[in-house]
Amino acid sequence: MSPPVIVAALRWVDLSPRVDPLTGAVHTGTPTSGLTAADECALEHALRLAEAMDGDCVAVTAGPEAADTVLRRALAAGASSAWRAPLAESALDDGRRAATALAGLVRAHCGEPSYVLCGDHSADRGTGATPGFLAAMLGLPQALGVLHLDWDQGRVVAQRRLDGGRRERLALAPPAVCSVEPANVRLRRAPLPAVLAARHAELGLTGSEPSTPDRVRTVGTHAFRPRTRRVPAPVGENPNARLLALTGALVEREPPRLTYPADANAAADELLAFLRQHGYLT
Amino acid sequence: MIAVVPVRSGVLPHGAEETATEAGGRALVIGSGTATAAAELASATRIWLAEAGDYAPGRWASGIATLAAGPLAEEEGPWLLPASPDGRDLAPRLAHVLDLPLLAGAIEVTASGAELARWGSRVVTEIDATGPFVATLLPGSRTPEGDSARAAETTELDWTPGAERDAEVIEVLPPDPRTADLAEAPRILGAGAGLTRGAEPAGTEALALLEQVASALAASVGATRVVTDAGHATYERQIGTTGVVVDPELYVAFGVSGAAQHIGGLGAPTHVVSVNLDPSCPMTAMADLGIVTDATELLRELAARLGDTPAETDEETARAEEAAHG
Amino acid sequence: MAEHAGPAQHTSMATVGERGGITTFDAVVVGAGPAGSAAALELARAGHRVALVERGSFPGAKNVYGGVVYGRVLDELVPEWWEQAPVQRWVTRRQTMMMTPTQSMTVDFRTEAWGRPPYNGATAHRGEFDAWLAGKAEQAGAELLTSTVVTGLLRGVRGEIVGVRTDRPDGDLTAPVVIACDGVNSFLAKEAGMYPDGQVEHTTLGVKETLALPRETIDERFAVRGREGVDIEMVGCTRGIPGGGFLYTNLDSVSIGVVLGLTELGKAGIRPEEIIADLKRHPAIAPLVRGGEITEFSAHLIPEGGYHTMPKLTDDGILVTGDAAAMCLAAGIWLEGVNFAIGSGMYAGRAAAAALSTGDTSAAGLAGYERSLRDTFVLADHKKLARAPELLLGDRVQNRYPAMICDLLEGVFQVTNPEPKPGMRALLRRSAKKHGVRMRDLAKDAVAGLRAYG
Ligand SMILES: Cc1cc2nc3c(=O)[nH]c(=O)nc-3n(C[C@H](O)[C@H](O)[C@H](O)COP(=O)(O)OP(=O)(O)OC[C@H]3O[C@@H](n4cnc5c(N)ncnc54)[C@H](O)[C@@H]3O)c2cc1C
Ligand SMILES: Cc1cc2nc3c(=O)[nH]c(=O)nc-3n(C[C@H](O)[C@H](O)[C@H](O)COP(=O)(O)OP(=O)(O)OC[C@H]3O[C@@H](n4cnc5c(N)ncnc54)[C@H](O)[C@@H]3O)c2cc1C
Ligand SMILES: Nc1ncnc2c1ncn2[C@@H]1O[C@H](COP(=O)(O)O)[C@@H](O)[C@H]1O
Repeated sequence: MSPPVIVAALRWVDLSPRVDPLTGAVHTGTPTSGLTAADECALEHALRLAEAMDGDCVAVTAGPEAADTVLRRALAAGASSAWRAPLAESALDDGRRAATALAGLVRAHCGEPSYVLCGDHSADRGTGATPGFLAAMLGLPQALGVLHLDWDQGRVVAQRRLDGGRRERLALAPPAVCSVEPANVRLRRAPLPAVLAARHAELGLTGSEPSTPDRVRTVGTHAFRPRTRRVPAPVGENPNARLLALTGALVEREPPRLTYPADANAAADELLAFLRQHGYLT
Repeated sequence: MIAVVPVRSGVLPHGAEETATEAGGRALVIGSGTATAAAELASATRIWLAEAGDYAPGRWASGIATLAAGPLAEEEGPWLLPASPDGRDLAPRLAHVLDLPLLAGAIEVTASGAELARWGSRVVTEIDATGPFVATLLPGSRTPEGDSARAAETTELDWTPGAERDAEVIEVLPPDPRTADLAEAPRILGAGAGLTRGAEPAGTEALALLEQVASALAASVGATRVVTDAGHATYERQIGTTGVVVDPELYVAFGVSGAAQHIGGLGAPTHVVSVNLDPSCPMTAMADLGIVTDATELLRELAARLGDTPAETDEETARAEEAAHG
Repeated sequence: MAEHAGPAQHTSMATVGERGGITTFDAVVVGAGPAGSAAALELARAGHRVALVERGSFPGAKNVYGGVVYGRVLDELVPEWWEQAPVQRWVTRRQTMMMTPTQSMTVDFRTEAWGRPPYNGATAHRGEFDAWLAGKAEQAGAELLTSTVVTGLLRGVRGEIVGVRTDRPDGDLTAPVVIACDGVNSFLAKEAGMYPDGQVEHTTLGVKETLALPRETIDERFAVRGREGVDIEMVGCTRGIPGGGFLYTNLDSVSIGVVLGLTELGKAGIRPEEIIADLKRHPAIAPLVRGGEITEFSAHLIPEGGYHTMPKLTDDGILVTGDAAAMCLAAGIWLEGVNFAIGSGMYAGRAAAAALSTGDTSAAGLAGYERSLRDTFVLADHKKLARAPELLLGDRVQNRYPAMICDLLEGVFQVTNPEPKPGMRALLRRSAKKHGVRMRDLAKDAVAGLRAYG
């Protein structure tokens, strides 16, 4: 039987793009592109799982030729092989095109992978949808947004964040897709000889570029502004009362106070007294 | 448009009201305890319930596709989910089985398209769609509307899950106040550039100290973009228009200038304290108590007083004791 | 670094090759700033196996400077560099401004010639420029190792440098020559015992903000068009702390910053941001930067001592270049470092290549480096301007002359009717007296200035 395969899906993306604060135009560059912290964590988890399961870690990416740098990083860190599918970025991609390309690579070169590890969200799209699409396409269960990931008696036990600060613990028997938040582990330092070897390693390139979606189109881009908020209609008997309710006039309020304490000690006294007075401290 | 609201044990997800409002009051409530959750959903006027049990995105997606072809066949979409953890996970699977485009991470959704926040919410891309689609709406994007007194027309649907394999849920753990979603925290201590660039400790260490003080005050830690960009705090700690929108009772700002983008996400706290060297910065101007002092030094003093004594103070005590005895 | 020394390691190095945790090159260049990339490029061109080690995630990732690269030295390293280098704007207008909090006197020079090949100076982003130059070295065959920090030197039996230790597992790199291009306060030169003491006194802090402005706004405010750009240097804007200010135009942003003496900054207890804030509010500067959105804030040290504070440049198995060798020329109206870094790196690379081909990499074998430096602008300029830093950072130039000159001009240009116009000499004397400048010192400084800059 062939050894288990753990796939790390790594996205090559600009980590510090220049965004024009006025127009929202994004300028990206190759030097500043690489792996997000989340994808680094995904790679580290994949390497650890490969060690624990006595298997191979295979790195895959979908992107332009420059994306090979993230594959070389993975090889230097211990991945046993690396594959790229050609993919030109499109602002319209919802993660489906990337997932289609990645699923193609996985089917062609990774046999039946035990686990596919992804980052929780990318730096550009940032929706975390790709891993969900990938799971759907590969017909695998998923655990997305994982904070802790442990290998425990033949399965992965994952803790993921829910809303309201709750957490969920999941058991994932292989095969499965898992996306991890940039937390709790750090990508290992690649040994120097491995870094040098990876600079000249052969990388696999296969697959054809998935078509761009035709049912949606971009009509514009602008710098982020929050949506204008609609204030709910004020309640009140008459227009005068409604106006008062809307403006908050006549509502009793302590006058603001500005203090210049002599030192940190006096400043702490001020702050703690304020907190006590308003019931935040007893 | 119809909202798809995944619920767990009768608890609505973050952003449920906004999503239902955006969808014009029509909502499919799916999960466990759907009736209880639906009763809470004030912004919905027309509700369908699918009692689907524990969260299972794979099986739910194809189950919803069955509903879409059956009892919900009249609903044309778009299908709108909150970009909460569960909504965000379910959306791509749903888009996959329905074979529809996904417009994820929207700040506004209409029947014909959406505005999507990209590049860490620094950019907005406007998308037009020629047909139905699935979308997720970022919480904090809009004001929910609705009337809790009004009863919604409710239909219970028969539920047939798909045959997909899903992960096995071992347990759900209650919130830890330190990591509780900032958006829901009643007390927040905010870290600004003034805290991380000032005297020692700086940067990540200052944040760790703030974390200590916060836990003594049962508060959560938030930060400005300058701080999260510098990597001293994680992005989920960022308060503001491009971060989390919060609405605490108490906000204590340490070295925060009070830029519009930050204040835009602050809600309307009952009490605001601003610790800043600049007495006229906007944060201090809007505060109930403005303390003009070095934020880091104050923080150190607070940490010392509020129990979790830093190691150096222990050492000092030990040294003092030694001196007294020797 | 005694623990790395020892005959065993040294003799084994040749045989071990790339296995067993030791990797061997002909030369190791530490730091992929302009100096390091130039050195690696020359070595690789000469056919040597060279490792270029950089701690940042890419060359230029964390490198900070004001914004102007002077191109002449590049002609020799990369012919027709202007066709390919990532340039923002060509500097065709240069200003020197003497200022007090409320006044300013500007010398404004512009020439069309600087806007044509071979050009004089260009504004460029360091992230782009350094990556471009390092890319040249890579194309020539240098092995660029990023995210790798050099943590120590390896020494051979006679104490000569035989390689470096990095922070990576199995991270030793051996080579007969190590070129230290690791920037200001060079860790390597210090480890090698080549640095004189007291560097702090000769170090200034440079802080800079990048402000985004629409391209058309910049064109309009600075009166330039197309790819033309402006370089403004300022004296008298640093609240009495020795130093100066600068303002450069990029394509759709401007860089504004100050350079401040470290010791005095410490004493003054002022944050450098406040001084930039002052500068941005100055009546002569405010209209130029108004509405600019801060997109970047950065700070970096500058070796400003000049010629007399340079370390030893050559030793057995090691050469020191660029900022690591304090070769930044920061004498007031000049703020040049990148060109000196490129020049010294280039000559170091050539000297190392020559030494490798003769097989003698001792200090004597590497002596060609210092010879080239003396024969060219690199040391010639530094020697010529050796006294400039002292003069320029002195109290009179910093604190008294700007105010004196501004007052003098205010006197000259102010219309005093019905009083008759005062004579120039009287005005000068009055203004000098008001600012506590004795005519004797003024004459002395004028002579010193002529000597220092002559
Ligand atoms: C499109 C866009 C979206 C943005 N979205 C967000 C967002 O979501 N959230 C966000 O926070 N920002 C956002 N920003 C950035 C925002 O404009 C401000 O730059 C940022 O909020 C400022 O953070 P700050 O207050 O920490 O830093 P600064 O503005 O640098 O303020 C630091 C403050 O600390 C004080 N200080 C300095 N030293 C000390 C000391 N030792 N002790 C006490 N006080 C001291 C200073 O007086 C100053 O008031 C956005 C910007 C843009 C362009
Ligand atoms: C605010 C400011 C404004 C300036 N303005 C100008 C200007 O307008 N024009 C101009 O020509 N010059 C200017 N200078 C000076 C100029 O930046 C420097 O002189 C020049 O960068 C020197 O180049 P270098 O290659 O010697 O060193 P650096 O550019 O400092 O490069 C050193 C490299 O070594 C790397 N490194 C350091 N230690 C290690 C290690 N242990 N292991 C691995 N790698 C390491 C660093 O990451 C860096 O990439 C300015 C400087 C400052 C601070
Ligand atoms: N083009 C791609 N190549 C490889 N992995 C990708 C690609 N796009 C997305 N991913 C993976 O999916 C995760 C989430 O990305 P996103 O859905 O874009 O937020 C990333 O962290 C990667 O692990």
